[in-house]
Amino acid sequence: MSLAMLVLRPVMVILLFAGVFGLVYLRSNVTKLEYSLGELEKKKVHCLRDRKMLFAEKTSQLSFARLESSADDRDGFVLPDRLQVVHVSKDTRSLPRLASLKQKQ
Amino acid sequence: MNKKRAVILHTAIVVSFMLVSFRLADLMIIDHKRLQERAQQQHIKVEDIQVRRGTIFDRRGRELALNLEAESLYCDPEALNADTEDIRKLASFVNNEPARMLAQIPDKGRFVWIKRKLPPETADKIRALRIEGLDFLTEAKRFYPKRELASHIIGFVGIDNQALEGIELQYDKYLTAKGGKVIMERDASGKTLSSGVTVEAQGNNIVLTIDEVLQRLAEKELDRAMKQWRAAAASAIMMDPYTGEILAIANRPAYDANRGGSARGFEKRNRAITDCYEPGSTFKLIIGVGSLEEKLVKPDTVFDVSKGGVQVGGKTIRDVHKYGLLTFKEVIQKSSNVGSILAGMKLGKENIYRYAKLFGFGDKTGIDLPGEISGWIHKPEQWSGTSLGAISIGQEVAVTPIQMLRAYSAIANGGFLVRPHVVSEIISPDNRTFASFRDSDNHRIISAKTAETFKNILKSVTEEGGTAKNASIDGNPVAGKTGTAQMIDPVTKRYSRDKYVSSFVGFVPADNPRLAMIIIVYEPKGEIYGGVVAAPVFREITRQALSYLNVPREDSPGQHAALLVSR
Repeated sequence: MSLAMLVLRPVMVILLFAGVFGLVYLRSNVTKLEYSLGELEKKKVHCLRDRKMLFAEKTSQLSFARLESSADDRDGFVLPDRLQVVHVSKDTRSLPRLASLKQKQ
Repeated sequence: MNKKRAVILHTAIVVSFMLVSFRLADLMIIDHKRLQERAQQQHIKVEDIQVRRGTIFDRRGRELALNLEAESLYCDPEALNADTEDIRKLASFVNNEPARMLAQIPDKGRFVWIKRKLPPETADKIRALRIEGLDFLTEAKRFYPKRELASHIIGFVGIDNQALEGIELQYDKYLTAKGGKVIMERDASGKTLSSGVTVEAQGNNIVLTIDEVLQRLAEKELDRAMKQWRAAAASAIMMDPYTGEILAIANRPAYDANRGGSARGFEKRNRAITDCYEPGSTFKLIIGVGSLEEKLVKPDTVFDVSKGGVQVGGKTIRDVHKYGLLTFKEVIQKSSNVGSILAGMKLGKENIYRYAKLFGFGDKTGIDLPGEISGWIHKPEQWSGTSLGAISIGQEVAVTPIQMLRAYSAIANGGFLVRPHVVSEIISPDNRTFASFRDSDNHRIISAKTAETFKNILKSVTEEGGTAKNASIDGNPVAGKTGTAQMIDPVTKRYSRDKYVSSFVGFVPADNPRLAMIIIVYEPKGEIYGGVVAAPVFREITRQALSYLNVPREDSPGQHAALLVSR
């Protein structure tokens, strides 16, 4: 038996064992990750559920009926008289200043 | 000796390896199929994909119906291990009697519901009891954040999320999605491993034409009218007269959509489309428009109503007040029965029927809500001697509030019959427009000239001398018509002496209408006339609605000098 074979044999055996254990380790790590992911997904589901609850609560609180009653009863707001309302309408025509600018261009 | 031992040891090792090899061959080759199936049963879990109904929005994107995740409590009877105290506590959390709750749990079997869709805090309390054999499943729960608001339009779903009423029912196939199954892996202890697969399917979202604020205004004022007149019921419908988009449908009595299952029948009725009534004077529209369109009368054509009554088929029909000579415009303005019958006689029964059908009476409007009825108007050949007189003043016909509103909308929009609808768009979960109902299928039924003439007549109804002065609002002219009709007594089958339907239907601003609306108050006490009972409700709703819709007053000194903003 050559010297090379004498050295290589234990190395190969060590490599073989290392490979087998490496595979087992990797596989167990994958499973571990799957467990972690599963836990995280559970948390995500809980968070989503809470988010849905909070969103529903917010929507409920922001309903016009609730806002109106709290504005009326608590804060004393009243709808303005329509005479006091200034209506702002969009006008696509150029105002004089813009017109003059356009002319310069 | 040592050699002998070595042989025995080697033989034992070889035999052991052979036994292991045989066993492996048995497991992996011979019994492979059965064991693989068994392993799959233990490691593979097939779960239903949870179906979530789509969200329902108002026209401005405010949520009217959405989904929550609720926990449902179930029991594994064979694994149940609880003492009397646990059962007593559990029963109190689920609002049940301990004995009754125990009676619901069979001795055998592996699954029985205890209580479904529990509030989170109740689920937490039950979980804290740590009772063996009890567990939770997460289910979707429909939630209506605005509670009573628009409940007759939105409808509701049952415990299994099955559609039962309203838009939920009408558009069920769009709101739900296909479920299916998803395969999940689990370990020996039953713990699910992540698969990364989504286990939820979402239905399409629906955008309504309803506006939450306008809906609330209508409901608030109906509540006020119900209280003031101690009425049995009331309805209001607000619509864009040009497109048929329904802005609000309010009915009283109403119910909280979150408790739809326990609501009583009369609370769930969407009277605006499922109930018909004798319209009374609002039906004079048919006589008025028909006579104008057929050029039988002009607004200043004079009718002699000085006798205060008119004989039709041996029956005398009278006016509430005595008038002398009235122009046709005044006949409508003052709602003279005698004048209307005289005009109806000129128009003739064939034409009355034709115009009634033209305006959609006796036919469904096609509104996209379940339960609409068509009402009725008899064919002329079925009319009795008194029918011409009765129909001319809105008796012997049955109409729904939505039909009447659509008819008056045709005057508002210059002569087109629109299709009322409550859904504007269906949007897919990935935010693409799946279907749009914005294009209205309007068709002309009368000339623009007749519509304009009759609109001017209707404007006079809310002016000084008209029956609906109470419907007028400051700053914008209102066009409309009052109606007061006796109800049929269900016992005697005759007109009741004390049960009336008071109504007002109109549109505003009269010359450039932003909304058309009908108000119906059933069985008001104290007053009965549409001008007194229903017209003020119209005024209060429109006053606030015009402000909300940013419609300027036409008499405002600053109106012509409105602030202009250039983009």
